[in-house]
Amino acid sequence: MGNILEIKNLKHHFADGTPGIDGINMTVREGEFVLIAGQNGSGKTTLLRHLNGLLVPTVGSVTLAGISVSENPARARQMVGMVFQDADSQIVGETVRDDVAFGPENLCLDRAEIQKRVSEALEAVRLTEFADQSPHLLSGGQKRRLAIAGILAMKSEVLVFDEPFSNLDYPGVRQILRQILSLHQAGHTILLTTHDLEKVFAHADRLIIMKDGKIARDGSPNEVVRDAEMFGVRQPCASRPGIEIGSWLN
Amino acid sequence: MAELTAFSFRTGNSLLHGLDARFKLVFLALISFAGLKAYLPGLFILTLALAAVMIHTRLSFLSVLKEIRYFLILLLFVFAARALSTPGVPVLEADILGKTMAVTGEGLYHGTLICWRLILTVLLGLLLVSSTRPSEIRAVMGWFLAPFPFIPEKRVATMIGLTVRFIPLILSQAKETSDAQRARGIENRKNPVYRLTKFAIPLMRRTFEDADKLVIAMEARCYTENRTEPELSSGRADWVALVGVVCLCILIVVG
Ligand SMILES: Nc1ncnc2c1ncn2[C@@H]1O[C@H](COP(=O)(O)OP(=O)(O)O)[C@@H](O)[C@H]1O
Ligand SMILES: [Mg+2]
Repeated sequence: MGNILEIKNLKHHFADGTPGIDGINMTVREGEFVLIAGQNGSGKTTLLRHLNGLLVPTVGSVTLAGISVSENPARARQMVGMVFQDADSQIVGETVRDDVAFGPENLCLDRAEIQKRVSEALEAVRLTEFADQSPHLLSGGQKRRLAIAGILAMKSEVLVFDEPFSNLDYPGVRQILRQILSLHQAGHTILLTTHDLEKVFAHADRLIIMKDGKIARDGSPNEVVRDAEMFGVRQPCASRPGIEIGSWLN
Repeated sequence: MAELTAFSFRTGNSLLHGLDARFKLVFLALISFAGLKAYLPGLFILTLALAAVMIHTRLSFLSVLKEIRYFLILLLFVFAARALSTPGVPVLEADILGKTMAVTGEGLYHGTLICWRLILTVLLGLLLVSSTRPSEIRAVMGWFLAPFPFIPEKRVATMIGLTVRFIPLILSQAKETSDAQRARGIENRKNPVYRLTKFAIPLMRRTFEDADKLVIAMEARCYTENRTEPELSSGRADWVALVGVVCLCILIVVG
């Protein structure tokens, strides 16, 4: 399969001079599950925000399936669905159904198509029974699933999760993890950032470790994970010698 | 997080839920106006009508009472002020601090009239809000504003929607900030200006940060002003209801 994402020599300096990211080169294959780890401030969020044009590169380029993001940001936003760290401030609609419909409405689809996509997306994240509730009454895990439904309804191919497990309890983490894995199985390309490898490590195809805005390690999870602690990322217990690699789902 | 209030939409399949939102807004305007012109018999008719609609839409009286309890306290003051200040035949007199306070018959009458009208107006608003999707209300605002040049109706509609959405968030954040500050003993400080600034500044900062995150999330989901709006469609039922409402209004005003 081809590369869906190509990032070349990407640099971003914020207005105050902080170098957010500093010379990133990477490509992602279609259908790959990439884990991006790194301590706070290492530039994970800044990197992700370039994928759909929320941030514009100071230097370098981001290409999605052959077309540059800065050339066609609207297409990039439809192709790359993003679930942000703070689930509450992503809620736009007054009911669960309205919130999911927000993206398709922005794509100017007709009503029948919007309704179809909304019911499919709600079905996929198992929130159908809450369709007419206020989103603010949902639990933490349900709010994340709502955010996921919101991007599924836009038929995004690449799904980006920025710290999807933060502020979730154990059942919440398991719900979201299961959801992400089933989306990966359905063929979506997945990029997921975390500072805690424990929860997803066993499921990823590839692990990238970032440090000070640069890619410090990039490779298969089992190899890269050995160096994790050098870059301020806690090594999962499951990858230490003598312990069987397990999953949070078992 | 935010509580569900009677002032929020709940789904249902009552007649009221099924009506076109534009018509409902017109009904609200017509009936409120008629209500403000009405006297006791008219108000009585309107009350019966509203009670019937409330029962039909399954809006619980208790939750409504709970929702408007502060408003009722306010009305109590309005009533007392009217009762005491309207000149007329005294029905009750008392000497307070050397001054004679008198409750007059006319005062009681006017107080009742005003409070009753206000309660009915609030109930009308509540019925509208609880039976109409917020997105529809937004679309209707856009629809009514569209004929006016120089008013960017879509932007206004989005702004109204976002404001409504932000109120519960700001309230819950205000509570969190105040709890956190009380946990650190802010109550030992007696200076109200100090307390207010220490409260308002973090609250405002957090609200702006949240607004910022919301804008980014909206952009990430392709937000444009040119988007599919909810369909507003009217049918026979709406026109029948319009005739009914006009008759009701005449009855109220004449009654
Ligand atoms: N809007 C901004 N203005 C200035 N500096 C920023 C801004 N956003 C992030 N940074 C800085 O960029 C660096 C990378 O941040 P971020 O991408 O959020 O890291 P991570 O997501 O890995 O925790 C940090 O040093 C952070 O302080
Ligand atoms: Mg981050």
